Amino acid sequence: MNEQAIKDLLYKLADDQLILGHRNSEWTGFGPILEEDIAFSSMAQDKIGHSLAFYTLLHELGEAEPDTVAFTRNANQFHNSQLVELPNGEYDFSLIRHFLYDNSEIIRFEMLSQSSYEPIAKVATKLKGEVKYHVLHANTWIKNLGTSTEEAILRLQSALADALPYALGMFEKSKYEQELIEAGVYAGEEAVKAEWLKRIQAVIEKTDLKLPDLESITPKFGGRYGEHTEHLQPLLDEMAEVFKIDPTAEW
Amino acid sequence: MYGGGNVFEATKFDDLQTEDPAKLAEFEARIARGEKIEPTDWMPELYRKQLIRMIEQHAHSEIIGALPEGTWITRAPGFRRKMAQMAKVQDEVGHAQLLYSAAETLGKSREQMLTDLINGKSKYSNVFNYPAFTWADSNIISWLIDAGAIVNQMANAKGSYGPYSRALERICAEEAFHLKYGHDAVVHMATGSPKQREMIQAALNRWWPPIMTFFGPSDKMSTHTETLMRWKVKMASNDECRQQFLDMYVPKIWELGLTVPDSKLKKNQETGQWEFTEPDWNEFKRVINGDGPCNAERLAVRRTAEERGAWVRRALLNPKAKYVKPLA
Amino acid sequence: MSLKSLDPRVTRLNLPDGEVPPMEEKPELDQFETYEAFHQKKEGAAHTYVGPVHAPNEDVAFLFAKEQYSRRFPCVGLWIARTENIQVTPYAGDQENVYDMMRVEEPTKRSEQPEPYEIFHLKKRGKAHNHAGRVLATSYLEALKEAKQQFGEKGPIVNVWVVKSKDVLQSADEDKDMWTTIPEKKYREAIAYKVMDKITKYKEANKPTTAQ
Repeated sequence: MNEQAIKDLLYKLADDQLILGHRNSEWTGFGPILEEDIAFSSMAQDKIGHSLAFYTLLHELGEAEPDTVAFTRNANQFHNSQLVELPNGEYDFSLIRHFLYDNSEIIRFEMLSQSSYEPIAKVATKLKGEVKYHVLHANTWIKNLGTSTEEAILRLQSALADALPYALGMFEKSKYEQELIEAGVYAGEEAVKAEWLKRIQAVIEKTDLKLPDLESITPKFGGRYGEHTEHLQPLLDEMAEVFKIDPTAEW
Repeated sequence: MYGGGNVFEATKFDDLQTEDPAKLAEFEARIARGEKIEPTDWMPELYRKQLIRMIEQHAHSEIIGALPEGTWITRAPGFRRKMAQMAKVQDEVGHAQLLYSAAETLGKSREQMLTDLINGKSKYSNVFNYPAFTWADSNIISWLIDAGAIVNQMANAKGSYGPYSRALERICAEEAFHLKYGHDAVVHMATGSPKQREMIQAALNRWWPPIMTFFGPSDKMSTHTETLMRWKVKMASNDECRQQFLDMYVPKIWELGLTVPDSKLKKNQETGQWEFTEPDWNEFKRVINGDGPCNAERLAVRRTAEERGAWVRRALLNPKAKYVKPLA
Repeated sequence: MSLKSLDPRVTRLNLPDGEVPPMEEKPELDQFETYEAFHQKKEGAAHTYVGPVHAPNEDVAFLFAKEQYSRRFPCVGLWIARTENIQVTPYAGDQENVYDMMRVEEPTKRSEQPEPYEIFHLKKRGKAHNHAGRVLATSYLEALKEAKQQFGEKGPIVNVWVVKSKDVLQSADEDKDMWTTIPEKKYREAIAYKVMDKITKYKEANKPTTAQ
């Protein structure tokens, strides 16, 4: 097995989850309903926990400690899709992003739990149930709000239009795409995307929302290899503000 | 966390003459037997009003209390702290939900309570009007404010109202983590690098005066207070709670070589009581009435959350739904 | 001018700085309906009442209750019931049995076929209602009568809740994996924080202590 290929995959999984978990944690205490505040915060913690699990696998492959990897790299060293680094916006955007992201995440976890690379398969199998709740949460909200008031439908429709180019960016192919597929690590980005499309369509069909023609949208690629929006570096600076006071200290 | 510093005010219901004597006697006998009161039981209006007021203030203190520590949620250093800080702040929001629910069983809707909070009609624990300047401030809050809250809540959990006791039992179980987490973070700072030590001492200096006011001024004993104690609404005096807190935590601060910024603080070996500089109760009053460093921001944040979340509630509100109180 | 806060998240909210007019009066009910949640701690254990959530419907109530009531403690199942659908008996004293004190009247409305009802008992004031079992009946009152016969004899029962099984949203077996990792989330458990070693080491290195 090509270790570089595995690392490439692990980095993008871990970075996506770290950055989205961080963004979601910005809602804690500010949510639209107390119970939803709590639910969103749990999912944020789960995401950070998932990223830690994958950084730990990277560490076992010789990369630096998870804390060092997460808290000391610069934006151009991050492999997350641009979708997850965008600011939270209002709750409509955060929900749509959560819906688009987690519906692809669950497919990755399902595939990876069958992976030929055993350490990933073990982690994915263990954590899959958490992502299942995230998807249930997202789909329930989209179905409810997407069939409610004109105001809510307009909001979600507009958030969907904003988020989709970035969401398609999640499926940017790896340099090692063929190797990963051939080695049975997972079925690759095209396969994830095809399944994702089916699943989000199935939810959106139950609502008054319309899925724009994806062929007409140019995906925002680049995130997987260090090209990011202007939002990522300030996020990282903020995340590491205390850590960097003394990176060698035990906090 | 934070039930501290309740100020019980007189109300027009103080006059128990208006209550049915037979029902009142039965109610008091139940409490004297050590039984809890449940929502559908008959209760004097004074009992109902004071409980709503107390539980509501406690709930507000949780939801507002999420904000000072929330200040550092995106900046917690390292995975361990990052996840724990998120869980800790989340718990405070969860506690607010539990407490609002307990207050709701007495007949005031949650949204009404939140509106009263935002419009300044209803108070919350005064300590949360102070800022968390650094990560170390957040650690001091996690440890010592939660420690104070636990002293208070353990006492209140033995109170007579069933739904409040149930909520507090759950809250205390969750707070065991907060206390340990806060202590762990402070110990790491105090035994860490010189910079970390300096940060934690500075935070302790800033937070000590608010902490000393956390339990509220000495209680003025009145017939009113006596009634509330007999009814097991008020479970311990503010001074008792403060003494218990000092007993439990000053030694733990000292063993870390930290200085408590009060030269008069010492335990009188003869009386067994702690002596300390009287807190500035004028400042306490000024801040609780709105003129503190963070009052405006705290309420503005809460209000923004309400206003920006309104479309979600509008979208899903069933127009035919009637308000139904929780059962217990 | 927008408010600049020590909390960067607050600064990003772009709140107005300074005086703001009081919030507008809210509509009569800016609040979702009330649902009650019951949680099952382990396989075979009775479902126990944990508390309410406000939600627009039972699906969302489930999402909410799952995080509010089962994120911190082991859980294998969750039931949700709309508060309005639960019928409640009067409360008896701690030494009494409410079944003996109630005259269960003949129901006025009956369903054609018997249907299942879930029965919950409160054994002591201040504690939580526990699931006692399920009965078949054609009305709430008949369900209560059945419950008295089947579960009502033993010891004090302070209060009873009766709800039609069809009005209870019950988590399914395949949902269980949503809870499997709860016990592993040590970062939110007191037991994960052990600092005695650090304190002891510090005290050793800094004798005599600066106390008093």
